[in-house]
Amino acid sequence: MAAVGRVAGGARVSRPRRRTGLLLALPAILIFVLLFLAPLGTLVANSFRTQTGAFTLGNYARFLGDPFYRDVLWNTLRVAALTTAGCLLIGYPFALYLRGRSARVRNWLALLLLSPLLISMVIRAYGWLVVLGPQGPVAAVIRWFGLTPPQMLYNDTAVLIGMVHVMLAYMVLPLMGSLDRIDPTLVPAAKGLGASGWTCFWRITLPLSAPGMLAGAMIVFSLTASSFVTPAILGGPKVKLMPYFVYTQATATLDWPYAAAIGFVLVVVTTGLLLGYSRLLRRGRGEVVFA
Amino acid sequence: MTRLTRVLGGAFATLVGLFLIAPVAVTVASSLTATPYVTFPPQGITLRWYAEVFAKPEFLSSFALSAGVALAAAAVSAVVGLAGGLAIHRHRFPGRAALEATLSGAFAVPTIVLGIGLLQWFAQMGLASSPVTLLLAHLVLTVPYAVRLVLAGLAGLDRSAEKAAAGLGAPPFLVFWHVTLPAVRGGLVGGAFFAFITSFDDLTVALFVVTTDLQTLPVRIFNYMQYDYDPTVTAIGTLMVLFAVVAVVVIERFVGVARLFGADTEERS
Repeated sequence: MAAVGRVAGGARVSRPRRRTGLLLALPAILIFVLLFLAPLGTLVANSFRTQTGAFTLGNYARFLGDPFYRDVLWNTLRVAALTTAGCLLIGYPFALYLRGRSARVRNWLALLLLSPLLISMVIRAYGWLVVLGPQGPVAAVIRWFGLTPPQMLYNDTAVLIGMVHVMLAYMVLPLMGSLDRIDPTLVPAAKGLGASGWTCFWRITLPLSAPGMLAGAMIVFSLTASSFVTPAILGGPKVKLMPYFVYTQATATLDWPYAAAIGFVLVVVTTGLLLGYSRLLRRGRGEVVFA
Repeated sequence: MTRLTRVLGGAFATLVGLFLIAPVAVTVASSLTATPYVTFPPQGITLRWYAEVFAKPEFLSSFALSAGVALAAAAVSAVVGLAGGLAIHRHRFPGRAALEATLSGAFAVPTIVLGIGLLQWFAQMGLASSPVTLLLAHLVLTVPYAVRLVLAGLAGLDRSAEKAAAGLGAPPFLVFWHVTLPAVRGGLVGGAFFAFITSFDDLTVALFVVTTDLQTLPVRIFNYMQYDYDPTVTAIGTLMVLFAVVAVVVIERFVGVARLFGADTEERS
């Protein structure tokens, strides 16, 4: 080492620098090889094994052949799509509103928006259990009107409310980014030429904020399809979602190979959809850039 | 028209704000209820459920475990993130492209899949679950953030400042200490903060890695919730909210919360 260190100038300088680089990166490399690639490799390998260790394609055949599990997969994608739509419906007007405010108001509202992410996921979901529960404020309001409150927990709607709550920030932040990048003189110019407020929105604001919208939708969809905590607490076993079945197969049924297969299907389906989606976008409009 | 849209906009933003704070506000309020079940609005006022939390040693030991692992995850992530960020930004070394690819790949893999992968891999290696395996499992979640935030800090650093310092005779260590480190300080603090929050909050991975004797706070709460519906959980929740508020105030002082999440809320244009 010392011999290399003494060499100065010329192309050989790169050798100690390469070594420093590798040395600096080594902890990160070790973490990823031993704690990311190896576990995922184990998972994929196990998904092709029977419980006794022999090679099989049976886990995948079982998943694809069972209408129950096909239903679970379909429902997972459906809930993810609905959550994305919900975030867009609430998040877009909210981002538009934020755009016109002073820096102070924006900061406060951004903090409010991010607050769900800073508070423990378990506690947040528990809070919704109370809000939507039989002793909660929503039920109290319904009773005040003289009606019987319906069961609001352990169904798709409860999961949807909880998920939109968690995911809203992931939609609004990229939206704010792309709304801010719109040239502020465009709308006044169009208005000066006689365009109405609606026309300005449809022809200028909406198309120019599309990149943020699409980026937000992509993040929300993939995070929702793979989230476990909120759906498990608010939906329970009644709401059939893939991550929940990965968990029960691994910890209750103790069928590790099958749990591995379900997990791997989840990865393949979500990344496949996202890759297809981003390719479609790139083909559709040359310059969609993800924020 | 502008006046009407302003009023409507304000009303809408208020509703969204209410929606955002509803679960936390309701949790905090109902932690004071005198009833043996959770209800909102709370009936009567008592601090009994807080006493209940501190009377349960399993919650305290879970808190200690969670906080310890989270602190360790924050420290290790900051160091590994700084080293890794510097390596990627400044050096060419074998495996650099692969490391970068894995960094972004780590974000795309669902946590639940990582959790079950770690469970099976640790079992195969014969590693029994301990605070160390928990820390190792959390590092996979936290190090990518740390590296990314350090890289963002380095990208904003003008290298001529380092060259100037070196040219004026500063030894490499002083250049690093006085020029490089201040540039990545925000990223480092942010990375450590993120690591702490992620580790402290994680339920998904921990569920797979823990045993009944070794439960982090989220796992403990999750299991408790399955059987008990008394207001103890709301009291713990309130304490955790207070904890988060303190953390946010501290971090807002140092870096700005919105910036941590990659948002430019103010200084644009």
